[in-house]
Amino acid sequence: MPDTSTDGGVDAAQRRALVALLRAAYPHARFPDGPYERTADAIIGQAQGDLWHRLQLSEGLATLDGRAEGDGGFAGLDQAAALSVLREIEDAPFFRFIRAAAVVALYDDAEVHELLGYGGPSFEQGGYLHRGFDDLDWLPTPRVEEYDGPEQLVEVAPDDVPAPTSTQGASA
Amino acid sequence: MTTDPNQRSDADRLPSQQDHYGASIDHDEPVVVIVGSGAGGGTLAYELTAKGVPCVVLEAGPYLMPEDYHNDEWASFQQMAWLDARTASGPYRVARDFPNLPAWVVKAVGGSTTHWSGATPRFREHEFRTRTYYGEVEGANLLDWPIGLADLEPYYDRAERAIGSTHRHGRPPLPANNNYKVFANGAEKIGYKFYATGPYGTNAEPYDGRPASIQDGFNFQGDKSTAKWSTAVREIPRAVATGKCDLRPSSQAVQVTHDASGHVNAVLYVDGAGNLHRQAATVVCVAGNSIESPRLLLMSASSLHPDGLANGSGQVGRNYMRHLTGSVYARFEQPVHMYRGETMAGIVADEARQDTSRGFVGGYYLETLSLGPAFLAAFADPGGWGPDFTDVMDAYQNTAGLWIVGEDMPQEQNRVTLHPSVTDQWGLPASDVWFADHANDEAMRAHGYSRADLMYEAVGAVGVHHTPPYPATHNLGTCRLSARPEDGVADGWGQAHEVPGLFISDGSAMTSGAAANPTLTIVALAIRQAEFIADQLGKGGL
Repeated sequence: MPDTSTDGGVDAAQRRALVALLRAAYPHARFPDGPYERTADAIIGQAQGDLWHRLQLSEGLATLDGRAEGDGGFAGLDQAAALSVLREIEDAPFFRFIRAAAVVALYDDAEVHELLGYGGPSFEQGGYLHRGFDDLDWLPTPRVEEYDGPEQLVEVAPDDVPAPTSTQGASA
Repeated sequence: MTTDPNQRSDADRLPSQQDHYGASIDHDEPVVVIVGSGAGGGTLAYELTAKGVPCVVLEAGPYLMPEDYHNDEWASFQQMAWLDARTASGPYRVARDFPNLPAWVVKAVGGSTTHWSGATPRFREHEFRTRTYYGEVEGANLLDWPIGLADLEPYYDRAERAIGSTHRHGRPPLPANNNYKVFANGAEKIGYKFYATGPYGTNAEPYDGRPASIQDGFNFQGDKSTAKWSTAVREIPRAVATGKCDLRPSSQAVQVTHDASGHVNAVLYVDGAGNLHRQAATVVCVAGNSIESPRLLLMSASSLHPDGLANGSGQVGRNYMRHLTGSVYARFEQPVHMYRGETMAGIVADEARQDTSRGFVGGYYLETLSLGPAFLAAFADPGGWGPDFTDVMDAYQNTAGLWIVGEDMPQEQNRVTLHPSVTDQWGLPASDVWFADHANDEAMRAHGYSRADLMYEAVGAVGVHHTPPYPATHNLGTCRLSARPEDGVADGWGQAHEVPGLFISDGSAMTSGAAANPTLTIVALAIRQAEFIADQLGKGGL
């Protein structure tokens, strides 16, 4: 087991490794570093409050560096190599902890919402009523009323109508 | 997902909270005590107090006002979701991905009508008679309801008027939003006929003192505009205004007690500070949703009812249903912006029928559904990561979504029990929810996925993603109605077979779950039950 700092902190190299891990695990070409860095800080913050997760995170990140060949450590790997290291440790508790926290923090980020094309809070702006709730124009505008043509919805297919004399439990 | 039961939601710290709202009813005065203020309890409170019957409403959660609601998925979840200790177990995937969140339901005045989306289809006649129509299905505990569609039809009318369902009683349809445009065009292309933007419990035009939808896209977060019906914006304020209703938020029911003759006589409950109170009762209506209601009865075991109150049949907590469910998110080459507008104002009814040539009994609806990136990331493929996962997220803007909601089989083994060691913040045993899919559920879900794929591919989808069932929003069947006492918990009026004065007043009463979203039927049953209770009280029959 590698030495683990006892001051409760994750050092700068480990934070860099965590950011690299997040980018490899959640690869979005459009995302700058900001969302990944904020997510890393959220994970580190969450680990601070929990000795077990803190130890696991610190040890796990050190292990990642150990698995990465070359001088740059995990943060120096290209995306394919980083992904392949992560696949090897998919079930490691520290990676599970990271994923559980990351999937909340990364996608609850205002910049990410904008990058993904999500409009977010709308009530204060009058909803989307006058801001594009129906602006899709590559399909025709469909009927909104219920069908009133000649067909009837057959609630029970003819073959599934129970025999008229049958009662509960009969002719199953 | 943060589901730490020790973490109190911000709602518990709202400065506006009062100990109670409306009438001050003495704790020693025996009245109708309603546990829960959602679709069932909130409706009962209004219907009974409007007839002059005094009621105490015990609601475990806070009284959130529309201005308190958040346009933010996680903030809203923390504000109103039921996060007290619970466990999920059994082979279903929710037990692995969300072991402390078997259900996504609301702990607040208004209950889960606060976050319901609004679809209001009625049950069909054969869905009240599943044992007759579906026959013997191995592993399923099918039973006909003691009532049928004809009994409920007048109350469905009243429920639709209360809710203001679109497409019903002169209420106009909602317009087509972007997600519906994709959904309905796909439906039409593959030959479906029975699609529309409703019936749906949100105003397309001002109605009943509430405004028209502003298409804000936050149905699940409470709808700040109040265009959406909930008992928090309609029945509860009206009940309080009668002067006959004593609404007590932050009041967790602990036990229902009875006198020596076996008639209910009180409800014990704990307030927000942890103090235990006793409210005397002539009638107790249990409407805490299908996990809390059986939990309360199981916690109310007595010498007369050693296995839990009203549980001589052994059916309390059993036959837990959560609706079939599954979602499909389809990616297109052009923008959709599914999040804009009413979340579920799109319904295809063509598969909501009994036709075993499809390979299963029962039927399902397809309904539009949208999640924001935060919830899509949490629920699209729980635990998912890597490029396949981020492809789904990267396509967010160009994604359309729908929900499959269908009838799942009641099974005795699917069950709410008191956990032997996990307790809530009061030291009370937490509920454990054990669930396994039935083979019929799996066959129906596979059919639903395939039909949804066809719909979306017919309008140009370049990829589809199948999302597994979420923590349950529809929780049903754990205190079911039955004609015979040995088959279930309560009779056709919802009165417990074995306990005079005790009523089951929520979705736990459902003998079978049908394909339809349950809220309309819960409201209809509650209006009918309120008439019965008021009538019986007038005659001295309770």
